[in-house]
Amino acid sequence: MSKISVIISSMKQAKDIKNKVDAYLIPLKELSINYPNTFRVEEIKELKKLNKELFVFINKNIHNNEIDKLKEALEKIEKLNINGIIFYDIALVELKTELKLKTDLVWHQEHMTTNYATANYWYDKGVKYTYLSSELTKREIKEIKEKAKGKIFVNTFGYIPMFTSRRHLVNNYLDTFSLKESGNKIYKEGKYYFINDLEEGTSVYSDYILNIKEDIDADYIVFNSNLIDEKDFIEILKDYKNNKFKEETGFLYQETIYKVK
Amino acid sequence: MQKPELLSPAGDLERLKIALLYGADAVYIGGMFNLRANTPNFTIDDLKEGIDYAHKLNKKVYVTVNIAMHNKEYEKITDYLKQLKKINVDAIIISDPALIDIAKKIGLTIHLSTQNSTLNKKAVKFWQKEGISRIVLARECTKEDIKDIKENNTIELEVFIHGAMCASYSGRCVLSNFLTNRDSNRGGCSQICRWDFDLYSDNKKIEGDRPFTFCTKDLSLADHIPELINLNVDSLKIEGRMRSAYYIATIVKTYRKIIDEYFENPEEYKYNKEYKKILDDVANRDSIPQFFDGNFGKDVQYYNGRNEMTNQDFIGIVCSYDEKNKLAKVQQRNYFKIGDYIEVFGPKTTQKFKINEIYDEDMNKIEIVRHPKQIVYIKVPEKVEENYMIKCIDKH
Repeated sequence: MSKISVIISSMKQAKDIKNKVDAYLIPLKELSINYPNTFRVEEIKELKKLNKELFVFINKNIHNNEIDKLKEALEKIEKLNINGIIFYDIALVELKTELKLKTDLVWHQEHMTTNYATANYWYDKGVKYTYLSSELTKREIKEIKEKAKGKIFVNTFGYIPMFTSRRHLVNNYLDTFSLKESGNKIYKEGKYYFINDLEEGTSVYSDYILNIKEDIDADYIVFNSNLIDEKDFIEILKDYKNNKFKEETGFLYQETIYKVK
Repeated sequence: MQKPELLSPAGDLERLKIALLYGADAVYIGGMFNLRANTPNFTIDDLKEGIDYAHKLNKKVYVTVNIAMHNKEYEKITDYLKQLKKINVDAIIISDPALIDIAKKIGLTIHLSTQNSTLNKKAVKFWQKEGISRIVLARECTKEDIKDIKENNTIELEVFIHGAMCASYSGRCVLSNFLTNRDSNRGGCSQICRWDFDLYSDNKKIEGDRPFTFCTKDLSLADHIPELINLNVDSLKIEGRMRSAYYIATIVKTYRKIIDEYFENPEEYKYNKEYKKILDDVANRDSIPQFFDGNFGKDVQYYNGRNEMTNQDFIGIVCSYDEKNKLAKVQQRNYFKIGDYIEVFGPKTTQKFKINEIYDEDMNKIEIVRHPKQIVYIKVPEKVEENYMIKCIDKH
């Protein structure tokens, strides 16, 4: 049976859902992206007291001038004795070796974690977990789970980040046309997409809330609470397989194409 | 100071030959498993012909194998890489590290694609230890980043100097998957970043003078080439495997001149501003240095809708030349006619004149050339060669 893991949005929420959760996934302040609510190392230390598995997101692209900041954060996190760091940038693999860190890593190059062979490549480099891309079919996930050596995370609920940029796309637009509002959604052909322009850059999310109610071949299924009403989120966690909200399976049964002709 | 490689894209054999003829030291091309799935791409036979052609000129060919592989692609990749080794490809460009061991066993040289968004010296160090020979740096790197990465590693670095930009970090955009079901990281990108959207603040539409878009201006580092050379960058890369032969010829020739002019006299080198005009003339968006100078504010965005400029001044390509009759056999690319003032240029020479005579394939005199790829003969005063380009400067 898969463990329930939650990308949390607040300390209060973490405490409120304590009894429904096996693991917290925690975006680290200044070194994570795509999650508007981030947490300081001191808050992560506080969350340790809840006696759950803890995984910290350091999933932003690390620019060269951020290496010292990253080192400092890794050394602090190492002392917390958490279960893993969810990474995007390969600098983390190198620094794990250089700093002799014991904390496990979770390979999460977001949309590029798409096959078992690469999961095993990283496993052999000491990366014990893989957090899969959301753009995979159920059949592909099953095969990866069967053939991957490490443990697998799969998104099953929440808005899915589908675009991440260093650029300040909303603020650039507002500045260009001297507009005073702050945009948080874009619209195209009947669909709205949340857009967040924060210090680290701009993120855009799926128009729908992924809501998979069936069993998935994964060690951890991930519920992303960002942009979700807090009460609704608690409702989902009570019994996710029978929740009252619309089922949305994303790419589970929809293989993407890449050659049009 | 070592002269960096000038690396050009090539979408097919014609463009490969043109890129090398006009001054590229190497080309990168796609066969299978690359990020331009909806272009003709190179068959193994094409690849072999292109590689043999390049090697005769003492130049190189790199093949992109840079999709984010799914299980089923992974299972087919070994045979393909063996074929690439057999035809003597100079390197493969990968993004998926599962290919590293396979490629090493086969004996292929490996470059790491910009899809991996390598931005820092620690990531570069990791990849070097893994046996990667060259890193194509992320386009978000600044000049200071490149300097520090180079100073702290001995691996070859390749830097984009010209062409279109992703609005996202490379590899971190699946807008195409969600909006059109086409997989951007497997070559199906439908360029949603060029679309217009409406921007909202909760339920209120925000009205600018033009619609919201992710679209960015293009990259051009034409006036920063000496800085890149002095940073010891190993390869200067032009983007655009889907661009025309004319575009490739113009861009490659211009950067070739810039690099060579700097090396001829570094102390007194001055960027020739004429080159900006030449580069701008073949572009379809404005170009700026982008992240190189640390700027990613509002000036990098391109709010001009889909009304991008096209290169209709490219009217034909020379197939051959009859020196006795001074007639060039030309394949048409855009409408032209008697009286148009044109420029015919090759890798080293340029001539300008008014078209006075045009003949069809049966040597009948004609006034207008209107059919795509129509073969005609035009009178050209000075000698030209195969693959010279013809552009219209002034329509009659």
